[in-house]
Amino acid sequence: MAKQMLIDAYRGKRTDKAPWVPYAGVHCAFLINEPADKMLKDPELLAKGVVNAAKRYKADGIPLVFDLSVEANSVGCELKWWPDNVPSVSNHPCSDKTPEAAGLQMPTKESGRWPVLYEAARIAKPQLEEMDCALMGLFCGPLTLASHLAGVRIFTDVYKNKDFAADVLAFAGKVCAKAAGFYAEMGCDIVANVDPVASQIKPETFREYVTPNSQEANKVIHDAGLTSSFFICGDCTKVLEEVCKIGTHGFAIDEQLNLNFVRDLARKYGVGFGGNLKLTLALSLGLLSPREDAIVSLAAGGQHGYTFAPG
Amino acid sequence: MADEKLNIDVLTLDSVQCAACGYMMESIAALPGDVQEMIVYKEWSIKNKSGIGKFLELKGRVLPTICIESDLVFESIIPQYEELIDEMAKRAPSPEMKERLLSLREKGFEFDKIQENLAKAGSGMSTRVDS
Repeated sequence: MAKQMLIDAYRGKRTDKAPWVPYAGVHCAFLINEPADKMLKDPELLAKGVVNAAKRYKADGIPLVFDLSVEANSVGCELKWWPDNVPSVSNHPCSDKTPEAAGLQMPTKESGRWPVLYEAARIAKPQLEEMDCALMGLFCGPLTLASHLAGVRIFTDVYKNKDFAADVLAFAGKVCAKAAGFYAEMGCDIVANVDPVASQIKPETFREYVTPNSQEANKVIHDAGLTSSFFICGDCTKVLEEVCKIGTHGFAIDEQLNLNFVRDLARKYGVGFGGNLKLTLALSLGLLSPREDAIVSLAAGGQHGYTFAPG
Repeated sequence: MADEKLNIDVLTLDSVQCAACGYMMESIAALPGDVQEMIVYKEWSIKNKSGIGKFLELKGRVLPTICIESDLVFESIIPQYEELIDEMAKRAPSPEMKERLLSLREKGFEFDKIQENLAKAGSGMSTRVDS
């Protein structure tokens, strides 16, 4: 396990070999034979699950949680809990009004589930340090958070009701910066902006709403001397150049992209990149051999700014 | 006309775990009640065999994708309300339904029955390999 090697790769530097990050998420609960919802509500179980997964998979870094409902819940969204999955957001307080009109406030570290995360990080961090494993804080990015706040209408509003979209995205960007600060305070070594729905928009929309509303969080992470990343899902080919230019040290993508294309673009911009072991086709369904898939990813990624991770 | 329905299939990884998939599903579930009467829709998660079968049958290329009447219409792009109505109207099984859909073009999304509509579409219910 090698925390510094992971940080170097995330920052686009050369490494002796590709470091490895399992985005274990609620799989941590499965490994300790607990339901996902129970683990996510209990800081001791959460810490136990994360440390166990890090140890089992010999991780160079591991996220505290991979759960994009934390920020939305901490500003007033309700959750639907699942025993084998992350919670989903079940209402949208800005579906018919701006965040200000809805009375939404910036979260504090006492809001929503943040106290559970603080306590879990306090327990897990020294154990991960002992294993030389980085603790990673993943916050919900601005467009995904805006979707949680306003619902699917936000994808129409970014074209048709620009003032409303700008209000919601600006609020979301400030919540992102708060969350980044919380993760920095918890002792995370790497803090990532996770904005999966940013792959579902046009590049000009990304430039108009995602890029500017990620800068405050970037500054919080960089001012704390930490390493930043931007995680995006789906077929993000059309916006990947924007991702490279967003101002984080690196980015991570999912299984739908060609890693050679991703590597070349990351090198062009001098940023780190991570991916893209096939989560569905290999790890979940076994339609491809995970071993062969891993060899293909490692060969394509190389040892220059590359982190081996599920996609 | 009363029995005619427009078929919509949403190909996903998992609408609970994947936010992009979740909002693709919500774009259909948040269509107003008058539109809901004219459509039938279902989530097909690629995490199980029936979802893989549907993905292959429809010749899916990326996730998530909204298919209307078996056409891959919105691939990795969450649609605007009017775009959805227009694409449904193009594929309406009768001129009457097309006209009715287009008359609802200015109505906009409704959020009061989303959870109920998602449940009807099996959203989040078949996302395990053994489901």
